Amino acid sequence: MINTQIALMRREIWEHRAIYLTPLVIGLLVLLGSLTGSFSVGTNVEVANLAVLVASNIGEGARTTAVLGILASAIPLFFFAMLVLGAFYALDALYAERKDRSILFWRSLPVTDAETVISKLLMAVIVIPLVTVVVIAVTQIGVMIITSGLIAFRNGSPWELLWKPAPLLDLWFVQAWFFVAFSLWMAPIAGWFLFVSGFVKRSPLLMAFLPLAIIPLMEHLLFRTDYFWEAVAKRVYSMPVFKMDNDWTNLESMFDDPAALQSFTESFKLLAIFDFKGFLLSPGLYVGLVVCGLFVAAAIYVRRYRDDS
Amino acid sequence: MSALVAARNVSKHYGNVKAVDNVNFEIQPGRIMGLIGPNGAGKTTLLKALLGLTDCDGELSVLGLDPFRQRKELMKNISFIADVAVLPRWIRVKQLLDFIERTHPNFSRDRAEQLLRQTKVSAGAKVRELSKGMVTQLHLSIIIAIDARLLVLDEPTLGLDIIFRKEFYSNILNDYFDGEKTILVTTHQVEEIENILTDIMFINDGKIVLDQQMEDLPQNFVELMASGENAEAARRFKPIFERESFGKRIMTFEGVARDELKKLGEVRTPAVADLFVAKVKGAVA
Repeated sequence: MINTQIALMRREIWEHRAIYLTPLVIGLLVLLGSLTGSFSVGTNVEVANLAVLVASNIGEGARTTAVLGILASAIPLFFFAMLVLGAFYALDALYAERKDRSILFWRSLPVTDAETVISKLLMAVIVIPLVTVVVIAVTQIGVMIITSGLIAFRNGSPWELLWKPAPLLDLWFVQAWFFVAFSLWMAPIAGWFLFVSGFVKRSPLLMAFLPLAIIPLMEHLLFRTDYFWEAVAKRVYSMPVFKMDNDWTNLESMFDDPAALQSFTESFKLLAIFDFKGFLLSPGLYVGLVVCGLFVAAAIYVRRYRDDS
Repeated sequence: MSALVAARNVSKHYGNVKAVDNVNFEIQPGRIMGLIGPNGAGKTTLLKALLGLTDCDGELSVLGLDPFRQRKELMKNISFIADVAVLPRWIRVKQLLDFIERTHPNFSRDRAEQLLRQTKVSAGAKVRELSKGMVTQLHLSIIIAIDARLLVLDEPTLGLDIIFRKEFYSNILNDYFDGEKTILVTTHQVEEIENILTDIMFINDGKIVLDQQMEDLPQNFVELMASGENAEAARRFKPIFERESFGKRIMTFEGVARDELKKLGEVRTPAVADLFVAKVKGAVA
């Protein structure tokens, strides 16, 4: 059972090399960018640049925040790449094998349809985020090595200014947590994509997004309500992963107030902004997983019963 | 010995179309069964049902298992080539062997590699880089390396040139078949395999129109070549099919004594292809 899953997931990586190539390419770009000493990806330019880092007049907390800012600045790039990658992967997973008829070969092996479909779900929801997280960590080490060179070039001590204040373990834990938690939160969408990929005769991309446009439109026209759209949109932007009572939520206004910004960067604690328990206890997570399970069951059913090869 | 495959009243509908219509048959272990039928006769549907790829009505047992509900268990002891060119095109030969080794308990990687060494297929090549003949050699090497009790071949040599086709069947006979194993094969090129078959089954319009051992064919079917009055006389024996060739009438008889017909012209056992035409067209006439 475990061996079969490992074999199935290895196969997915062989087939979809973009799963690791995409983050690797982004990692390379980030490293190239860091050679110039600027890390202005994202909004936190002021707290995260080399000038701040080598300044000797900032406190320990602020320095840690600055290092975090540098290391975190490329995360959004990886994150959006993962979203696109995950969506395309899930939409292709049960479609390509039907299109090229290789499903006939796969089904000639002693592997059940459930095992196959579940391996593809695990790829989308667990493996793709974890691969991304590992590449991010490696990229961050690379950025730190390059930055060490830049600091040394400015006669600073890389160890004192960069490595010592860098909360790498906290950061890596939080990154892994955030990427996997996000993917679990989005599992119903992944399940829907897998189902579409196993069900449609053509254009899985179009077919996956069409209902997201048509259903809310029809609902609005027929009932003058927007429940469907609210449910989908809420899923996308209201993941309960952060603590909502922190002052960091007002980050943007702080940039206009140097004193507030300084006190914020000095007292910033990475682990404190995440609401681990709140996420794990949120009903939304489990409702989503159930919805995902229903779509996956439907995808298994379709792969098993449909014979259009 | 109990039958390896047993079908009782097996049917499969697609909407109103009966692809397989109340079919009954058995396949005994150690046989090489040829399943012959025109396109759309229900051959492929029947094979799919046997392989657990599609659900069907009636009782179907393959190796004592229900193929649709116990497909995983069944696939440990069956190997099949459903059609040519279904190997995934993106995969490398080495990866393919890796995957099967990890998922198939009866697969011998050594055996597959040994067979592949006799071909031009290299371990690092991707399937898409191989010629059609090489893909078939690869697939064949894989299924021969699976110690399966039943091998199902659905048009395995379609689109291959004659050298590959001849090689294909001789490899199966030499490397796979050992008298305990069973083969079920469908093909359009029946003349290529009729000398290796032990049993034959014709299917037309979803129904089985013939199910015989090859060794019984000479006893049951006679082809007579006659002309003129003799042909007229022969018609009294009610041929199931009649055609003309080089000015002579060629008639196929079922269940008529060979000695009777000998007096009227040249007799022989019909070739499977001719017999097939006789059974299928004769039924229409």
